[in-house]
Amino acid sequence: MAGLELLSDQGYRVDGRKAGELRKIQARMGVFAQADGSAYIEQGNTKALAVVYGPHEIRGSRSKTLHDRAVVNCQYSMATFSTGERKRRPHGDRKSTEMTLHLKQTFEAAILTQLYPRSQIDIYVQILQADGGNYCTCVNAATLAIIDAGIPMRDYVCACSAGFIEDTPLADLSYVEEAAGGPQLALALLPKSDQIALLEMNSRLHEDHLERVMDAATKACKDVYAVLDQAVKEHLQEVSAMLGDRGMA
Amino acid sequence: MLKTERILHLKVQRGRTLRAVREHYLRDDVSCWSPLCGRSCPKDGKLLSEELTHYVVPDCQVLHDYQEVLEFPELKGVIFMQTACQFLQYRRGRRQYRRLRSMIRDPRHDCILFSNEFQHHAYLPREMGESAEDWQTRCIYNSCVWYYQHCCGTVPVVMVTEDEGVIHKYSNETGGVYVISFKSYLETFWPDLKDAQELHESLRQSRQELGLENQEKTGKEYQEHLPTEVLEAGIKSGRYKQGILNVNKHRSQLEAFVRLQGFGGKDTDLQSDVLIHGNKARNRAVHGDLVAVELLPKTEWKGRTGALCDNEEDEKTGDSQSDVMPTGRVVGVLQRNWRDYVATFPAQEENRSHGTNTQKILVIPWDYRIPKIRISTQQANVLQDFRVVVRIDSWESASLYPNGHFVRTLGRIGDLEAEIAAILVENSVTVNLFSEAQLAEMPTNTPDNPWNVDDTESGRLDLRKTHLVFSIDPQGCEDVDDTLSIRALPTGHLELGVHIADVTHFVQANSYTDMEARARATTYYLADRRYDMLPSILSADLCSLLGGVDRYAVSAIWELDSKTFDIRRVWYGRTIICSSYKLSYEVAQQLLDGDLEPLNSDSELQPLSQDQKRLEQLLWALHKLTEVAQATRSRRDRSGALELEGVEVRVQFGEEHSIDDLIPKQPLQVHETIAECMILANHWVAKKIWESYPQQALLRLHPPPRQEFFKELKDCALARRFTIDTRSNKALADSLDKANDPSDPLINRLLRTMATQAMSNAQYFSTGSYTEDEFYHYGLALDKYTHFTSPIRRYADIVVHRLLLDSVNKASKDNLLGNKDLDELCRHINARNRAAQQCQKQSVELFQCMFFKDKDPERDLRCTCDAIIYAIRTNGVILFLPRYGIKGAAYLKNNEGLVLSCDEDGTCHWTQGQLQRLPDRITVSAQAGNSTSFCLFDHVTVRIRIQASRVHSDIIRLEITSNKPHADPATVSPSPHNQLVKEDLVKEVTQTVMEGQLADEKAEAQKLNEHDQEYRQTQGHSLYMMLEEVKDLALLDVAEA
Repeated sequence: MAGLELLSDQGYRVDGRKAGELRKIQARMGVFAQADGSAYIEQGNTKALAVVYGPHEIRGSRSKTLHDRAVVNCQYSMATFSTGERKRRPHGDRKSTEMTLHLKQTFEAAILTQLYPRSQIDIYVQILQADGGNYCTCVNAATLAIIDAGIPMRDYVCACSAGFIEDTPLADLSYVEEAAGGPQLALALLPKSDQIALLEMNSRLHEDHLERVMDAATKACKDVYAVLDQAVKEHLQEVSAMLGDRGMA
Repeated sequence: MLKTERILHLKVQRGRTLRAVREHYLRDDVSCWSPLCGRSCPKDGKLLSEELTHYVVPDCQVLHDYQEVLEFPELKGVIFMQTACQFLQYRRGRRQYRRLRSMIRDPRHDCILFSNEFQHHAYLPREMGESAEDWQTRCIYNSCVWYYQHCCGTVPVVMVTEDEGVIHKYSNETGGVYVISFKSYLETFWPDLKDAQELHESLRQSRQELGLENQEKTGKEYQEHLPTEVLEAGIKSGRYKQGILNVNKHRSQLEAFVRLQGFGGKDTDLQSDVLIHGNKARNRAVHGDLVAVELLPKTEWKGRTGALCDNEEDEKTGDSQSDVMPTGRVVGVLQRNWRDYVATFPAQEENRSHGTNTQKILVIPWDYRIPKIRISTQQANVLQDFRVVVRIDSWESASLYPNGHFVRTLGRIGDLEAEIAAILVENSVTVNLFSEAQLAEMPTNTPDNPWNVDDTESGRLDLRKTHLVFSIDPQGCEDVDDTLSIRALPTGHLELGVHIADVTHFVQANSYTDMEARARATTYYLADRRYDMLPSILSADLCSLLGGVDRYAVSAIWELDSKTFDIRRVWYGRTIICSSYKLSYEVAQQLLDGDLEPLNSDSELQPLSQDQKRLEQLLWALHKLTEVAQATRSRRDRSGALELEGVEVRVQFGEEHSIDDLIPKQPLQVHETIAECMILANHWVAKKIWESYPQQALLRLHPPPRQEFFKELKDCALARRFTIDTRSNKALADSLDKANDPSDPLINRLLRTMATQAMSNAQYFSTGSYTEDEFYHYGLALDKYTHFTSPIRRYADIVVHRLLLDSVNKASKDNLLGNKDLDELCRHINARNRAAQQCQKQSVELFQCMFFKDKDPERDLRCTCDAIIYAIRTNGVILFLPRYGIKGAAYLKNNEGLVLSCDEDGTCHWTQGQLQRLPDRITVSAQAGNSTSFCLFDHVTVRIRIQASRVHSDIIRLEITSNKPHADPATVSPSPHNQLVKEDLVKEVTQTVMEGQLADEKAEAQKLNEHDQEYRQTQGHSLYMMLEEVKDLALLDVAEA
């Protein structure tokens, strides 16, 4: 597989996308009635489910309470059937723990936590099918779920990965492209203010190229934003239509 | 964009299959790269040409089997479907695929890749239960139909296939899309292209044979190679070693070495090469392949043979082996590096006739290191006396020899042109005439339409009025790369300028000329001709900085302190110059020495004898230049640097390629001056481009040599009680200077040759791939060095020019090569340079052999001459013939076991006896009682004879006739004036050959003459160029020695 050509001379990637193109994104909000907010998103073949509870009062040990803002509690998990071979991860592996931490940092930066002192917000994300860009898909799913829960945020948090292959930055890496082992960068962005909520990079990339990869990732995030925004608006229309119906009746 | 899914079943390790789902996006905007398409496909990039009558689409099997035929540039309008390309990549591996890719990129080939699997309407999903082949064919056919309709039916599309069923099934389905077999395609559409048809036929035959064989054979000649995953895992864990296989030229049946690569192994104590003993252990690996080897247990280790032998079939017993070295066997081949091989059919009587019309014949490659190749051809009788090109296709474990196919003929054995062509093919050098498309890019310069410089071009500094520019080159040189200027500034400082021909002004990046120059990478100098890198309108006219005409140049100008010659400021940029004088080295030296004689003899200088002022100006410049050069040179020496290029200047006299005859015995001071200025320019340009582009500058490095290679040198020197200190380059130079025997200056030359041979090759590299402390140039003792001063004959210099000009103009980085591309380019240039050196060396050897061929060794005085012993083997000695610059072996023990014994008066004859080898001498004790010793550095007299060979190149054989120095009054060796200059030799041989051919076929000889004239435009070299060449030549790979 090492010889796989990730970017052809004609400018196509293995799955037929061009360098800057995203995978197809489909999203739905409010998939569960029990939770305060929930969302389901597909980015290509990566599928994620996010559920948000809160804000509610602190559960468990009281010592975690923050007096000026809310505690953001995250949990990331992967379904046993999400990868090619079934794999049980009972209490989460190191990768999940790390991902949990990243999600927490991301959303602490985005949610207006100071509005809810001494309370807690829970975000649970699960990957149902993994095909590259797991972190980014989780962030996007969680953003939609938070919006669904009605928790105020500074802005949408949109995340997208970018890689660098054959002197070209590639947006939104798929699993095959990730597995090739090139440099890979995950960016979570607040698109309106261009503020970075989280930036992570794996393997070495020459600093001369960093700017171009960052530009590609930023552009991809803004594209993601357009799609998410569309999904939120459609969801609102549906909900308000339903409300309207009820009002009529 | 439409998203579909593609389900793949991948095999994982442990034999299970894994279901993988991949996304597959279909789109409407896949570009068709056809100029005739009426829709909105983007038209940038490589398009098919417009005047085509049809497009041709090979299917998977055709591309897989006949890729070589499709590589003919005459075949136009080829559309490769992505489906077929992926099939090729999957089945034939990365190397073939890369070849296809570079062909598609090459603007000279009229072919494109159409990404049919991403096009919404061209793609067809695979149906349940459909075989992969059926689906691929269906896909390709459907894409052809789409393509035809996309171009609005203006151009018919021909799909070629080898499968009769496919032709039957699809041929009448759509009008305008034809399905025919590849064979009939070639016959109907390209009836004139006989070469392609022949190649197709020969490939087809070898495929058929292969198919038959696979059914028949069961017995295994060799062990199977291990699968790639196992090899990769083994290399990682250190169980196997990987390296390039090098076959010993003199014992090709027995010995091969693997030079280890990479530091993957855990035990780094394994420093030396690994010996592969015998054909079984070599396990089908061919010289040059990247192989994985497994070490044998220490008890089975063997030593390399120290005895001389000449590749005869009878294998000598290993009684004369030195200490054991790591020995291993090949377990797998990671990368085949097969190329085109020159081969010859065996002589008629050896030829076992099969009686059938297709014969399988073992042809014998020209290169000893390559095994015999089995080909099947019907033309064996016709091609009996020809040199032919063959390619290896495969080597099954059941077969003793590899299978190959016949490609083309080169010419009759022994014919000069055929032999030269053989040398070129063996070194993978292709030199076609420049194509019309390339020549069309060239500016014209005819008497009625003269070419002029454009004064108004911005950013060019005009030095025509202000600077006195002159060039110093050998007599009669036409391609003047470099000119110099020096003047005093009003501030009291000096201004030194080096002005180099501005080739990049004429050769735009990625133009046809540029592609061609890049492919050639260098000008090839053979003994009697040369193959230019650039068309002659550039190399000999518009780029050449001739005297008295306006020319574009790229200049490096330094401001120097007038006392200390420290560099104050430096400026680089494009200029217009007009060289005032084109001096030759001899004239310049005479002027420097105060001899004004040339003023009268040289027409160019004659006006100066009246004009005292201008004469003084020129003289002042020459003197000042010499001073500056001396100062910079001594500064390099003082700062810990050594005069290694000085060493090499002297080494080259001892160099074996008889080039020493070309070189003036006493280098003039002015030679050194010019060389120093060029080194200065190269050094400063290297610094500049490295500062501007730390990750993608092209520099040249010379790695420090490995100490163990100096062992032979040290041992030899000890024989004369010299000690050689090799700890640093300075110590080496100093001790070499001291190792001088006043009675025999040859010894010093030989020692220097050995020192040079111990060193590695200098090479180009991209700065992004190395760390800064690896940039060091050991030979010149400079921290950064590059090649900038000869863009007319080296492609590396063209790249450096582009880098320099972009960095001066602060141009964007986008159009420069990235580190990866540059790295690849450097590797290509290095390989081409090596090939150029090999070509030159082999062509000189060819001429040497031709020279001696028709001389009677017994009577002709020229066949007897003086030689010096410089290495000892167990059954003979290796000699150096200073008069012809030949190195060769002489036996002291012949095949019948007789030894060479000497009488009182020195004459030698064969007799019964024993040989005893000591470190610095070899003693012959004859049964009669008298014994003779041959010591290192002894002079002996030898007779030269030629051992003719039908399938290989002829070899020079030496025979010791006396153990006294040769005392011929006409040529007292090693006196400096034994002047059988190489050029004379070449001329003499060429003439005899010419005469022979003239008698035979006048017309052809005429053409040949023209060629000869054309290629021999400049026999001269600038000294700097020559030094560089000789330096490269001198730095031979030690493994071959």
